[in-house]
Amino acid sequence: MPRKVAVVAGGLSYFSKARRDKTQEELAAEAARMALFDNDINLSKDDIDGTIVSYFSDHFENQLLFGSIIQDYLGFNPKPSVRIEGGGATGGLAVRDAYAHVASGLLDVAMVIGFEKMSEVNTAKGNEFIALASDTDWDFPIGGFYSGYYALMAKRHMEEFGTTEEQMAMVAVKNRNNAQHNKFAQTNPKMNPFGMKDGGKITVDDVLKSPYVAFPLKRLDICLMSDGAAVLILASEEKAKKITDTPIWITGTGAGTDAMRAGDRPRTLSGVPILPHEKKEWYKNLEYPGVHSFRAGRESARQAYKMAGITNPLKQLDLIELHDAYTSSEIQTYEDLGLTKYGQGGKLIEEGVTALDGELPVNPSGGLIGTMHAVGATGVMQGVEMFWQLQGVAGKFHGSDKTQIKNAERGLIHSHAGTGTYVTATIMER
Amino acid sequence: MTEVYSIDPLIIKTPYEITYKHSYGKTSRFFTALSSGKLMATRCEHCKTTFLPPRSDCPYCLAETKWVEISGKGKIHTFSTLYFSGERFLKDLPFQLVYVDLEGVDTLFLTRLKTKDMKKVKVGMKIRMKISRDPEWRSSDVWAELDE
Ligand SMILES: [Zn+2]
Repeated sequence: MPRKVAVVAGGLSYFSKARRDKTQEELAAEAARMALFDNDINLSKDDIDGTIVSYFSDHFENQLLFGSIIQDYLGFNPKPSVRIEGGGATGGLAVRDAYAHVASGLLDVAMVIGFEKMSEVNTAKGNEFIALASDTDWDFPIGGFYSGYYALMAKRHMEEFGTTEEQMAMVAVKNRNNAQHNKFAQTNPKMNPFGMKDGGKITVDDVLKSPYVAFPLKRLDICLMSDGAAVLILASEEKAKKITDTPIWITGTGAGTDAMRAGDRPRTLSGVPILPHEKKEWYKNLEYPGVHSFRAGRESARQAYKMAGITNPLKQLDLIELHDAYTSSEIQTYEDLGLTKYGQGGKLIEEGVTALDGELPVNPSGGLIGTMHAVGATGVMQGVEMFWQLQGVAGKFHGSDKTQIKNAERGLIHSHAGTGTYVTATIMER
Repeated sequence: MTEVYSIDPLIIKTPYEITYKHSYGKTSRFFTALSSGKLMATRCEHCKTTFLPPRSDCPYCLAETKWVEISGKGKIHTFSTLYFSGERFLKDLPFQLVYVDLEGVDTLFLTRLKTKDMKKVKVGMKIRMKISRDPEWRSSDVWAELDE
């Protein structure tokens, strides 16, 4: 029988296109210090029993075994540590692994340390490294570039369901503008001392007029590349109750997978894994998953909902931190998570359901488009954000009360790799 | 001599180069067949699935697959025009990517579409695969052209 597991503390670094002022391990220390000293907890560094280290690429820094440098730098030797890597879902997988370590009794108090420093190579080389996380025999030589892969999937979603570039632009506006109330956000030059100079609020028109990177995706439809770190501390029920009066429980976790080459995914009629609130006949004419939907996302949600007893996610969740690598993939993911029927994701953003003041806010933090995508830190950042939201202290940390979702009791964090190759969904509750 | 990029903080430049000797293993035949003008896929006789890119082992059955020749005719499943890319493809910009749905193949194949007028391209258009006469021994040795 697994033990109950809570999140008890979180910390972030400032995110930036280039944090040249600090090394990667110094960025990790910035986030770890916040987790240990700025949360209202009764916990010392010596109470941490082990670490889960979360980073994606050895290429960005040309340093193997960076986890060991982190463990040493933060002073956790000789305690146990493990490195987790799963592309864009690295952070979500690390949070899930920390959950497993604590639930199993292997660790009582675990620190998840996520980070990435992507600025030490030029942007085109950085994009090439990311594209090496696609099949290098078959897909990469064709013109390996993730925005190209997502553009193909977005175009198919438009063709299949009538999704529009305007709907995609609305996602960019929502996330980018939410980020303007979060001091950690890379696009927030007013509050973040390392923020980008051409950040700030945007409009749908700005997005539509921004240059195409890969049709139908434009520059403002695409997430950031960042330097930064995020730290989350998890504890067993017994320890958590001593550490804080307001532990946030992890009540569900799921992980799904799909073919590295999106073209290899099946196109099966009636192939949709059905959620409790759905009917099989809705999708009897839909070829699934094809390249328009993320079966791994659906599968991760199905498992997490089952574990947490969620039968109607739109009604039972109060907010979501969603891996918005692209505006199109946020829309696609609304459907995978069962917030609306397959094909209706574009309508959901149009109707304002996922806005800050909507029925189910998605990415109040600003997400990957507004705040950061320092790959190994990203899923951990989502955990930190959800923790602060459910504790009701997001305003204090963000430096603005605008992002705090009132009376939030339950939320989902969604972490996503590749073209939807690894996806995790984790439910957190007050 | 080390190239210094900045003094405060101190930032140095470090080049890094590497050559891999990469084996295509049993899928090598895809590339050697191209030189005789043949486009080959693999087929699992057990579950009747045909794969391109070729797989030597069927992921559904773990049975060993057999090579089959395909026509190279098909349709555009989805497309994109790229105006930016990873470092080694910057010289090719802009270029067109497509997933093609090929006759006799169950998977979709990622390839480039070479056409003068990308504006008229639509999902569902007929294409035909072309083979390079000057092989680089990469998947980019084949591409799609509109079949008008
Ligand atoms: Zn088979």
